Amino acid sequence: MTDSAHNDRTEQMEIDASAKWPVLVFFASALFWLLLGGALQLIAAIQLHTPAFLSDCAWFTHGRIAPAAQNALVYGWGMNAAFAFGLWLMARLSATTLRHGGWLFVAAKFWNLGITLGVLGILGGYSTSFELLEMPRFVTLILLAAYALIGAWAVTTFSIRNTENVFASQWYLFGAAFWFPWLYAVAQLMLFHTPVRGVLQPIVNAWYVHGLYGLWFIPIALAAAYYFLPKILGKPVSNYYFAPRAFWWLVVTTAFAGGSRLIGAPVPVWIPTVGTVANFLLLVPVVIIALNLFGTFAGRYRALGGSVTLRFMLVSMVGFILASVCNFALSLHAVAEIAQFTLFAVLRDWLVFYACFSTAMFGAAYFILPRLTEREWRSPALVRAHVSATILGVVLLTVGLAAAGWQQGQLLNNGTVAFGEITRAMTFWFAWQSVVLGLLLIGHLAFLINFIWIASPINSRGTAHAEFRNPPDLSLPEAAPEGHA
Amino acid sequence: MKNGLILFFGVFLALALSWAGLLLAAQQQLGSLGQFKDPVEETINPQPMSGVAHEGLLVYQDLGCVTCHTQQVRREGFGADLARKWGTRGGYARDYIRDQTVLFGSSRLGPDLRNAGSADLHAGVDAEYFYRLLYAPQSVAPGTNMPAYPFLFDVHPTAGRQPSDYAVKITGKAAPPAGYEVVPTARARELVAYLLSLKDTYDYPIEKSRNAPAETPKEGGH
Repeated sequence: MTDSAHNDRTEQMEIDASAKWPVLVFFASALFWLLLGGALQLIAAIQLHTPAFLSDCAWFTHGRIAPAAQNALVYGWGMNAAFAFGLWLMARLSATTLRHGGWLFVAAKFWNLGITLGVLGILGGYSTSFELLEMPRFVTLILLAAYALIGAWAVTTFSIRNTENVFASQWYLFGAAFWFPWLYAVAQLMLFHTPVRGVLQPIVNAWYVHGLYGLWFIPIALAAAYYFLPKILGKPVSNYYFAPRAFWWLVVTTAFAGGSRLIGAPVPVWIPTVGTVANFLLLVPVVIIALNLFGTFAGRYRALGGSVTLRFMLVSMVGFILASVCNFALSLHAVAEIAQFTLFAVLRDWLVFYACFSTAMFGAAYFILPRLTEREWRSPALVRAHVSATILGVVLLTVGLAAAGWQQGQLLNNGTVAFGEITRAMTFWFAWQSVVLGLLLIGHLAFLINFIWIASPINSRGTAHAEFRNPPDLSLPEAAPEGHA
Repeated sequence: MKNGLILFFGVFLALALSWAGLLLAAQQQLGSLGQFKDPVEETINPQPMSGVAHEGLLVYQDLGCVTCHTQQVRREGFGADLARKWGTRGGYARDYIRDQTVLFGSSRLGPDLRNAGSADLHAGVDAEYFYRLLYAPQSVAPGTNMPAYPFLFDVHPTAGRQPSDYAVKITGKAAPPAGYEVVPTARARELVAYLLSLKDTYDYPIEKSRNAPAETPKEGGH
């Protein structure tokens, strides 16, 4: 090992040590919500084919459980996992330690307090019924204050960076760190504080929902892909010089694409039209990013066998492509006419949130946690169970929701088919959805058990020789020769 | 890209542009949309929502009805909304200024409700129908997967008290045991008042002409 490589390792270990407890706390909270949200989601899915299930109690009626599950997953699992991963990666890529991590504990406490109150509020009947903004108003300030700390830490870590270049992952993390609070604060102001009138409300809501998925979850997932692929494969990102263009193009078009959720709605026609155009333009950065990422992968698919992280990243990238295709398809009038209000539209957001983002976070966790705790995954069988359940689940639910949504849309558009007939035709697919969500939940449980083993401070170190392998000794991506952007 | 400041301004501009371009522009266009007074019939449209219906809207929000029900009617030729009797015309932005909270919804696991209270479209739909639907959905809509809302009703023995004016007649499997009556709570009554208020009956001349298909130009016209 050369001297500089040795220094790199020491530096990385210092950074990892500084990030250890904040990252573990955020990941632990994220997993709690992943399991809880998954259980609620499963209950909501079961209610679609067995409507009497838990329906006698107001707290568990479908209209409350479904949004409660969605909020627990998006803000509980998704945001906490993104915080854990984002802070760690920002510190690593900025080659600086995460300072004063104690404040991040305070932030984590308040963030999770806010989510707890919010989810209980939805179940207790204080839902606002605006998609992804259902949590009652009183949690807004708690969430924003907690986020302010977390976002400030990410941005500060970036601004005291010790590196010459700024790598692609950092653009996405930096951007996301600002977009979420702006989107959230603007939506809260325009919907609840000084509410806009009439159909402007759904327009604001669509802008927020699309922004949250496209300008928070997608960028975080892409940050993971741009970092882990070159890192683990030991080669630079292919065609990296295109990446900055893809970044700017992606964010500008995504920001304008929200109107595509309102095709056919009683809003001025230019709003969905702008959304459709934006989604059309979005194909360009998607192609560039695909060239970047799959180009890096090309010829190295054998490495998949040796790295759980890589396997999850591949799923995530496929999820990204599918989500983009699905999003594009739904902004075409001919497709929207059939698929708009069906399970197909559910698929669009699920692909972004689960197939693209959540799998990237799983992959990141399998890379980060052994390094932070300096232990190995205790049970390779549980790791395999998690990987297989996720891959199988993503395939089955994508196929299921797409087929079901298309059938549902065609039946809905046939005025002679009674509504009860449609429900009956969908029952099979509702059951399918329950089974797949149950399967995914089993995978998450396997992950949780392994996580407890690896993260618990009182546990002895893992015994099984699992997938943890030092990456090839390679300089950090920002120092890689192609990194001059 | 090495400069953090440029990155920050780019990031800011990307979102600020979309905020101004979409939300601010839409606010400019629609923010002051008002009621329309019909010059002939001298009616104000859309009529403001009654207080009890507005309370019902809050119940609608709290129970999350929007999870499975949309409230937006697509125009003729785009989907089969009109054939399904979900409306007599596509919706206009002006229809919605009466609602304090506008919930378009994005899922049609259940039918659209924008005109659920319209007796012209749905013969026989009245408060009694909605109470039955909420208490025992299967009794009025066999095969539906809508959940029952028993917690919106009081089931109590009739012995020793005057029968309630609001008692709902439930027959079949879901009927209460003999000597009991099913009485909707205040929340149920508000919710049903809201549902019955849902009807966009008036067709605004301005919107109507704007949404009408273009006439074919006359022979020799430009």
